[in-house]
Parts: sequence; structure tokens; C-alpha cells
Amino acid sequence: MKTFRFVISFSIALAIGIVLNTKIGSIPPLGKFLSPFHGFWQNAENVAIDIESKSVEEISDSVNVYFDELLIPHVFARNEKDLFFTQGYVTAYHRLWQMEFQLYSAAGRLAEILGPKIGNTSLIDVDRKMRRIGLMHGARKSEELFKREEPEVYELIQSYSAGVNAYIKSLSYADLPIEYKLLDYEPEEWTPLKCFLLIANMNNMLSRGERDLEHTNALKKWGREVFEVLYPERPDVVDPVIPIGTEFDFDPIVVEKPDVTFPLYFTDPMIENPDPDNGSNSFVVNGEKTANGRVILANEPDLSLNLPSIWYIVHLNSPAINVMGASLPGGPGVTIGFNDSIAWGNTNAKRDLVDWYYIQFKDDSREEYLYNDNWVPTKKVVEEIKVRGSFSYYDTIIYTHHGPVVYDRNFTSDRSEITNLAMKWIAHDASKEIKALYLGNKAENYNDFAEAFSYFSGPPQNYSFAAVNGDIALWINGKFPVKWEEQGKFLMDGSKIDHEWKAFMPQSHNLHVKNPPQNFVSSANQHAADTLYPYYQYDYNFEYYRGRRINDRLRVMDDVTVKDMMNLQHDNFNYNASEALPMMLDSLDSASFTDREWDYFNKLATWDYFNNPDLQAPTIYEVWWRKLNNKLWDEIDSSEVAVYRPNWYTTVEIMKSGSDFFMIDNQSTSVTESRGDLIRQTFKETIESLEEYLEEEGNSLLWYQYKNTTIRHLLRIKPFNEGKVKIGGNRHIVNAASSSHGPSWRMIVELGDGEVNAWGVYPGSQSGNPGNPTYGHLIDDWASGEYYKLLFERSLSPNHAEVTHSITLNTK
Amino acid sequence: MKLIIRLIVIGALTYFLSPFFTWWTAMVVAFLVSYISPSSGLNAFVAGFLGVGLVWMGHAWNIDVLNDSSFSTKVAEIMQVSDPILLVFTTGLIGGLAGGFASLSGTSFRSLFIKPKQRSLYS
Repeated sequence: MKTFRFVISFSIALAIGIVLNTKIGSIPPLGKFLSPFHGFWQNAENVAIDIESKSVEEISDSVNVYFDELLIPHVFARNEKDLFFTQGYVTAYHRLWQMEFQLYSAAGRLAEILGPKIGNTSLIDVDRKMRRIGLMHGARKSEELFKREEPEVYELIQSYSAGVNAYIKSLSYADLPIEYKLLDYEPEEWTPLKCFLLIANMNNMLSRGERDLEHTNALKKWGREVFEVLYPERPDVVDPVIPIGTEFDFDPIVVEKPDVTFPLYFTDPMIENPDPDNGSNSFVVNGEKTANGRVILANEPDLSLNLPSIWYIVHLNSPAINVMGASLPGGPGVTIGFNDSIAWGNTNAKRDLVDWYYIQFKDDSREEYLYNDNWVPTKKVVEEIKVRGSFSYYDTIIYTHHGPVVYDRNFTSDRSEITNLAMKWIAHDASKEIKALYLGNKAENYNDFAEAFSYFSGPPQNYSFAAVNGDIALWINGKFPVKWEEQGKFLMDGSKIDHEWKAFMPQSHNLHVKNPPQNFVSSANQHAADTLYPYYQYDYNFEYYRGRRINDRLRVMDDVTVKDMMNLQHDNFNYNASEALPMMLDSLDSASFTDREWDYFNKLATWDYFNNPDLQAPTIYEVWWRKLNNKLWDEIDSSEVAVYRPNWYTTVEIMKSGSDFFMIDNQSTSVTESRGDLIRQTFKETIESLEEYLEEEGNSLLWYQYKNTTIRHLLRIKPFNEGKVKIGGNRHIVNAASSSHGPSWRMIVELGDGEVNAWGVYPGSQSGNPGNPTYGHLIDDWASGEYYKLLFERSLSPNHAEVTHSITLNTK
Repeated sequence: MKLIIRLIVIGALTYFLSPFFTWWTAMVVAFLVSYISPSSGLNAFVAGFLGVGLVWMGHAWNIDVLNDSSFSTKVAEIMQVSDPILLVFTTGLIGGLAGGFASLSGTSFRSLFIKPKQRSLYS
């Protein structure tokens, strides 16, 4: 009886212990998770910062870290190894989960921590895509290159990694970021390879976009003439990054366009493009244009609006370096910033850097493929995708000399006529971006700057520059293949040597401009240069509006102040509306208007095209424009083969050029619509849908409420998001804040008279912890146009008025 | 009276030892305390339930007050609980169940080895 009682009660206790220690479905282990000494309660903080001084073995001298009111760490070390060690340490303190998770994603390892699927999304498929595009492949090659050629920089990357690991080792379960507790896993050791994977992941966001397969589909489906109407390469209005008329004094490498025929097959791309809105603005004015004669640089990268924020602001100081700015959590050094002598910013230099090659294997063994009339051996790589709570999934990926055969018999769409497509991409090659950033952080003048970023291969960037001595400049840096016209714009034949990239542009041929007569430089992801530039430049997704607006403004601005530069970053002028709306309004038939139609019409007719947050007209225009595009491009949206809509600029041009283009007719009706018919129909539909919206949502038509800009947690956990942010703008507007995308770090730096002053703000907080009182605290100021003057001193002490917390890392 | 003392001992040990060990420290504490001191099963269960449960609930409540419930509000929404205060109670209940059954098995483990005192007929 006693034994029985013990066995029963002990079994119950044991069962409770085990159940409460186990994740069941999406419910975290309740004992662990709810324990107020260990679980989520430990993440509910009542102070903004609680990092403590510590003794560590890995450093050779003590390091002081001062946190200012924004919780920006100011790291003062006596040598660079200790400096980067401490950067890794403090970054991990604020952002450990994010820096690890984003690279789980890039490595194709999500199923390992999240299981086989979330909702209807197969994470095994998501992981397979990442493995197949080969980010890790490129990262490994870069690491080998650094070990071989850049041992000093590699040591610093090791120091950064050691700093992250020292922080990880100091953690118990209670200290883990909340996301680890919710998903029930633990951080793993950080490695230098992860720093290289971070660069590969930047490439994935910024240099992977292309429409080559869709182009082949469109060409085959509609023929050349229609193709040119839909996707023209260079409209007349292009206002390029490098000022028109700049002379190019070098002998270009010439590649003759061979007599090629592109393979015309319908194929279906299964790997989504990166967000086409990923882009940035940067503009610099020199002393001729400013009120006080100093130069001013402004930069803001427009990316997915995430929490924890994409950027982590740091100030790094050692005897040979004094740099501040935005860093990417997981990468050593500062990515966008300034030091005592210079400031630099960057925007994505778009160019088609991914090409697809059709591969013919000799037989089913896929051990050889046809190339230049020979059978060439392939290399097979078996990728193990670990799956939490299940067996590993193995995926065999074939590599050719072009690159990985992304689409093959194991990974292809039913809608493709052929498969075996190999991907050629600059991100598969070894490269030295981390060295570029390291040298850039220490650059003292124009020559240092030009030398530093010449090591930056990809994603190619328009690097803008300003110096205390008054110089301004811009370099378009990256590794660009020399292409003949239309090379890689369509699917190419992998067996033909003619279809291959033959050479890369020498770095010295990359576009650049220093102290131009217009007294400013700017870039906003538009075309790189005018047609006199002797190299073929193509991308499907050049920006047509932000760059023109910025240049329109800079040409007329005078006596520019820092405040003017801030205002320009917040410029809400809707260039697209200014070009499309007059035509749309002209097509309406006001004779038959109802009162309500007059009301909507008047709001638009009196609008000055500024997408300000508390106006109604931007909402009405946005809905109308979207409905008009839906009607206009129904042939494309309903196409059985993958094609894509022309960009907004071309759309307006097609509509303005007359109404005889066949796609203007709406297929779903029996009559043939004209342009005016579509405009009139969609105007009525816009009013109907907005009236419905007003009834259902009980909301107003105010632009910011309708747009609902939301800063989303990386896991899309709703309570960790911050929504309905009161900000204007939209995509293709300088203030590029759309619903989930926009300015991720706004920076203004003024240099001159021996001084460097900087201002910054971003939509988030240094702390990535949703339980921290400062979580997301900068968002409102970011939205309303407030900036913070950044604390940038050569030395600091714990007693400095702006220092709120300080720690020392001591040697052991 | 013994109940109160046992409850306080379990609670105090849970409070002071938990930060240094895993979450199921509370279960080990409850088990050992009830193993060492003789008691009835019901008495042991209640002592373990309240000893661990109250400490868990109290500590969670204290953290929640200091944080203005701002984080528990978010977690409550994730766990689909309507009110953050329910998270405080749930924390106490889960801790209580774990502590109670651990304590009960502690006392029944004791009874395997130790003969109960002979009861006097007149007591």
C-alpha cells in the first residue's frame, strides 16, 4: 500500500515535471516559461539597462563602455582586438536573438529550430530555397580568402566572435532573450563564418533581384514589340546617379554582342525576389550650398521595418580608430557612419547580377553537363536540413561552373517546360566587404575612402562621401560583370561559351564623381549614368521617382542647413501622383457626378501631391491608383505563365501614350474598354470601397491611419509589433515609409571647421527586448521628424552628463 | 502549526535557491522537505502547493508591478489570456501543482523507510 502510494504520487510529480519542461505544439514549456525566477517574467525589466562589469580572459587590457541616453554604447579600448571583442559583447547583450535568428534564416536552418512547418508554410521548403541559392557557399569562400590573404582583419573578426561567445557563455536560461523561451531553444556558439554569412545575406536582400525568367516568358508569350512597351530599359526622364555630362577617361573592356539566340522556354521561378522596395536615399551638399560653409551628408537605408531594428548604433574608439554610426548586429565595425575626418553613406546600386543558365546533363546520373561541346563533370553537394521533432531532410544540389543548379528534377514547378537552371551570382564568389568596412571606418580623406571601398564587391553600393576638409564625392562600388547588351536579361544557354560573363569591370572603371560643379551628389537607386558611359548597365527595378525629387530640390536649394536636409529626408512629394493624377482627373465626366463624387473629386483636385500623414487625398489616390493598375494589368495577373507588371513610371507612360495598347482592355468584360473607361470605372469603385472601409473600420481616411505603417517583430508576433505609426510618405517617395517598409536609419552629418556633428534616429530601440521599458521608444520621434544629436566625444567618463550607465570589461 | 512551518520552509528555500538552479528546484525542495519531516499526505501536499505556489505568484506579481504590467500584457496576448493578472495566477497555480505533487511524493517516499510512531491509545 505504501509502495503503491509512493509510486502513484511520484509518477504524478515526475509527469508534471516532464510535461512542464516540454514544448507542446506552439506552447512553450510551461514550468520553465512561467517560473518567475527563470521564465518570461525575467524578461520584464524595470530598468532600461542592466549590463554589468565583468572580467574576461580574451582581452589584453581593460575596456570602458559608456551608454548614453539612447543606450548607444561608446566603447573605449586600448587596442583593436579588444575593441571588436567588446563590440561583439555589447551587441549580443542587446540583440543576441536577432543576430542569430537572421542567420539561421540565411543558412536555411529554420526548420531546425521551428520544426517542419508554421501554419501552411513548409519551413523545409523555405530552407531548401536558401540552401539552393547558395548563400553559405559564398560565405565559406570569403572566409577562406580572409584566412589566406587578410589574416589581420580575420583576427578582428575572431575577436568580435569571441566577444559574442563570451556573452553567450555568461547566460543562464533566465537571462535568455524572450524569443528563445517562446520557441524553446538555446543560442549556439558564434563563429566568424556567421559574419561572412551576414554579408551574403545582405546580397540576398540587395543584389539578388531580377526578372530574367519572367522576361523569357514575356518574350515568348507576347513577342519583342510588346516586350519593349512593357519593359523599356531607359526612359528619357532618367536623372542618373553620376551627373549627366560627366566624362569617362578610360579605355573600357569591350565585349561584342555575339550572335545569340536565347533559349525560349516557359519556366516558373519558385524563389521570390527580395522586396523590390529595398533601396535608400543619400545626398551630400558641399560648402557652396550650405549656410555655414560646411558640408552635410544625409543617408537613410529603406528596408523592412523590423523589431528588433535592423541597425544597432555604436561608437568605437581605440588609438587608431574613432568611428560612430549604424552597425549590422552580427558584423564587426560600422556600416554607415562617420569618424573624425569623414562621413559616408550608401544606397543600393541596382544592377542585374544574377543570371540563369539552362544546363543539359549527359544522363540521369547528372555527373556531366554539356559545355563548349564537351562533357564537364558536376559536383554534388548533399545538404542536410535538420528538422526539429522529425527526421533530417536531405537535398542534393548539383554545382556547375556557372553555379548551383537551383531548379532541377527535385525542385521545379509544374508550370515549367524545362528544368535544370543554374544560377550565376556575384555573391557566390569570395569577397572582402568586411575589409572595406574596416578600412572605411578608419579613412581620413578622399583617397583613403576610395581605396577602402574599392574592396566592396557586393551588394554593390553607391557610396557617398563628405570630409571635414570640404570634399564631397560618390563612388559606385561593386563587382560588376562586363555584359553585352541584354546579356543575362533572359534565360541563357549554359552550354555555350558565348553566353558567359567574360570579364569583370576593373575597379578603376567603376563610376565615381568628386566635387562636381553642381555642388552636390545624390543617389536613390536610379540608373547609374547617362548613355555615354561605355558599359552596359541594366536592372529591371531602377527607381524613377525618389532620385528625381531629390535632385529637383537640391538644384534649387541654397543656404542649406542641417534642418533643411532633415526636411528633405521627410519630403512627402508623390511624384507618381503628380504625373498620373492630372490625366486621371481629366478623364472623368464631371457632368454626371453625384454629390459624393464631387466631394471625392474636389479632395483630389485641390491636392498638392504631398503624402502628408493627416491628409485624405493620398488615401483616395492610393486606392484609385491600385484599382486602376489591377484593371489595366489583368492580362499579366491572370497569365498562366509567370510575368510581372511594368513599373509605375512605365504604366503612366503607357496610359498617356494613347489608348490603343491591347492590354488596356479589361478581359473580363465583353466590351472593349478605353483608357477613359478604366479610369471612370475605377473612380466609382474607389469611392464604393472607401465608403465601405469607413463603415467597417470606423476609421477616417487620414493617410497614416489607412496606410498603417507598422514596425513588425521579426517573428511577426503581433503584441511585439508597433502599429499605426503617424508618418506620411510611401514607396517611391523620398520619405519612403510604406506599410511595413521604409527608412530604417536616418543620419545627417555636418563636417567642417575641424568639427563633426551628427544627428540620427531610427524606428526602434537599442534594446531588442520587448520587455524592456525602452522597447521601440524612438519610433514616434522617427515618424514626426525629430532627430537626436549624437554624442561623439574623443573621451568620456562615467560622470558625463549624457552617460546613463557604464561598465568596464577587465582582464582576468 | 507544522503545516505553516513546512510551508514557510518550502517557500523560503524555493525563493532563495531558485535563482541559482533550474526551475524544478522548487520541486526538489518540496520533495526533500517533506521527506525529512514527517507529515500526512494531505498536509504535505498543501504545504508544497502553497509554499511553491505563493512564492511563484508573489514573485511574478512583484515583477509585474515593477514593470507596470507592460510586458505581461504582451505575453498574455500571445498566450491568448484575456488579462495579464491571470498570468500571475496561472504562474502560482502551475508552481503550486508542481510543488504540491513533489511534496506529496516526498512524504510517501519517507513512509517507505520510516515506521510511523506508535500512537498511544490515549492520545
